[in-house]
Amino acid sequence: MSENILVIGGGPAGLNAAVMLSELGVNVALVERDSFLGGNPKKFKYKFLFPDMQPADNVIGELIKKAESGGNIKVYYSSEVSDFKENGKKFDAVIKSASGSETKTFDSVIVATGFEHFDPARDAKYSYQLFDDVIDIKDLERMMGENNFVRPSNGKPPKKVAFILCVGSRDRHVGNQYCSRVCCTVSVKQAIEMREHFPDCEAYIFYMDIRTYGFFEDLYWKAMEEHDVQIVKGRIAEITSGPDNTVVCKGEDTLLRGPFEIPFDMVVLASGMEGGPQSPEISSKLGIELDEHGFLKPENVTLSPFKSNKPGVFLAGACTGPKAISDSITEGAAAAMNAYTYAVKNR
Amino acid sequence: MEYDENGVSIVPAELKKEIFEEARKDFRYEEYVRGCLNCGVCTGGCPPHRFFDFSPRIVLQKMKSKDPELIWTMMDEYVWACFQCFTCAMICPFLNSPGGVIAILREIAVRRGFESAKKVLKPYSRVLLKLTAYGNQLSPDMIQPDFFPDWGPHIGYASTDLAVKRKAIPMPTLQVTNLAWDVAPETMKELYDIFDEAGVFKIIEAVDPSLYEIIQDIVDDVRSS
Ligand SMILES: Cc1cc2nc3c(=O)[nH]c(=O)nc-3n(C[C@H](O)[C@H](O)[C@H](O)COP(=O)(O)OP(=O)(O)OC[C@H]3O[C@@H](n4cnc5c(N)ncnc54)[C@H](O)[C@@H]3O)c2cc1C
Ligand code: SF4
Ligand code: SF4
Ligand code: SF4
Repeated sequence: MSENILVIGGGPAGLNAAVMLSELGVNVALVERDSFLGGNPKKFKYKFLFPDMQPADNVIGELIKKAESGGNIKVYYSSEVSDFKENGKKFDAVIKSASGSETKTFDSVIVATGFEHFDPARDAKYSYQLFDDVIDIKDLERMMGENNFVRPSNGKPPKKVAFILCVGSRDRHVGNQYCSRVCCTVSVKQAIEMREHFPDCEAYIFYMDIRTYGFFEDLYWKAMEEHDVQIVKGRIAEITSGPDNTVVCKGEDTLLRGPFEIPFDMVVLASGMEGGPQSPEISSKLGIELDEHGFLKPENVTLSPFKSNKPGVFLAGACTGPKAISDSITEGAAAAMNAYTYAVKNR
Repeated sequence: MEYDENGVSIVPAELKKEIFEEARKDFRYEEYVRGCLNCGVCTGGCPPHRFFDFSPRIVLQKMKSKDPELIWTMMDEYVWACFQCFTCAMICPFLNSPGGVIAILREIAVRRGFESAKKVLKPYSRVLLKLTAYGNQLSPDMIQPDFFPDWGPHIGYASTDLAVKRKAIPMPTLQVTNLAWDVAPETMKELYDIFDEAGVFKIIEAVDPSLYEIIQDIVDDVRSS
């Protein structure tokens, strides 16, 4: 008799966990809240991925294809785990979907419920939702993905665009002290993409630290060397409206200019990642710990970042903190290995 | 105090260290200075930054530097460029208060009677006199064009025939123009005790000795009445 393992969340992390388990012959129940698989990259139609600008479809599309092509994975779309109980070393879960509720016993569980994008409207100084031409990186991903890169206010192509880093991250006022890790690289990637496809549109990046960690630094250098992206040190204090239908970024250039007020056709806010409402929900439903940043808490952040504090329940991907797709996929595999070992031991 | 050819005061290193330590020991210090991302949000939102070479980010960075020399460079003029609007404290992502740090430094400058403090407080001597000697802040006779240019084009008219205009106000105005309201001698005496205890008289003595003498004469009169 083969093992039964529950995977909650069908983003990059959950998908890879499910695919690997399926290849081991495990019966996988993949429970996804949305009506489609692929997580945030699919939802916001990411088109090209950092670090190598490969089409997102190579990664996400590939994983979805594997998960949906039958095998041992049963995908529950638009569904949730409505009830969860321990049963000895195993777990009884109720999976609720449009077609009704199903109760099943699982040998182990992988939580891969991911993150939510910070809603920039929560920080009034950026005037998101007040001015049409202030958008954020997920909006821009979607625009690029839909080949619709124009100013929302008038449908015309922008000539000068600002990227503002650390929106909703590293700021006690919004309650997020942590760094969201990917938004520097996403912004640099988007600026390059923009300059490649729309060479007569200028790109500015306003930063307080550029955190294109590891090899992502290549993109940062490339942005300056090959694409003349203007990199200005200074966090924006306020966004106001300017003459000729522009949006004005006001701040201090802490290195060169001193005070500045620069008009742009469009401003892109690098909104960070949050644990979202799903993290506390899953935490209380499954009886696993939440950390002080609003993400799920690993048993030991260094030794076992893929384990929850509850034996038999494993964690993967951005549900434990901001990270890139490659890390999420790696953790999906690590959680799969651990969930499988736990299941086999308690057979 | 001695000054060099650039108008910067020449002081011994000991005094600079004392001032630095006085600021660090202030009970508000820990709350105002936490850590600093050097991000410039405070300065971006700071009104005087648009007009002067003044940056609350620099104030916070210098304060954090623990270098008495750097803090001293702000004591003469720099700290007086701030409007004390506290926009910086409202928007700092680290929840620092650069405006609060400036308040601490200014209070030191005032307590120690620095030239810069004397210069800045000079125009307020009339307010200080009314406030400390009579318990009033503004009185009708203080409304003069020279002192209130910001009150607009009608200040000239407003400052004439004060006694008549006071009579037209439909509530008791004491019919005087040198006070806004009457303060009972008992209340005045209590106020003087508070000013004594809080060191207010001492501060006035440091920044404006002649004003201090005028105030003390009035205080003595009232106290002995
Ligand atoms: C704008 C932006 C651009 C990015 N671009 C790149 C890039 O180019 N390259 C890169 O490497 N990384 C990129 N990232 C990071 C990448 O998005 C994440 O690493 C990745 O999405 C994390 O995968 P995940 O599976 O952990 O979470 P998610 O992608 O968030 O997926 C979680 C899934 O779980 C589901 N779910 C949540 N709660 C429940 C529940 N209670 N029950 C059932 N299902 C649930 C969700 O619907 C979702 O499908 C980017 C991030 C941002 C913000
Ligand atoms: S990755 Fe960059 S933009 Fe994102 S929070 Fe960290 S420093 Fe700010
Ligand atoms: S309190 Fe002072 S330093 Fe702070 S914003 Fe206002 S004027 Fe600038
Ligand atoms: S806003 Fe706060 S953290 Fe940023 S430079 Fe000013 S004092 Fe430092």
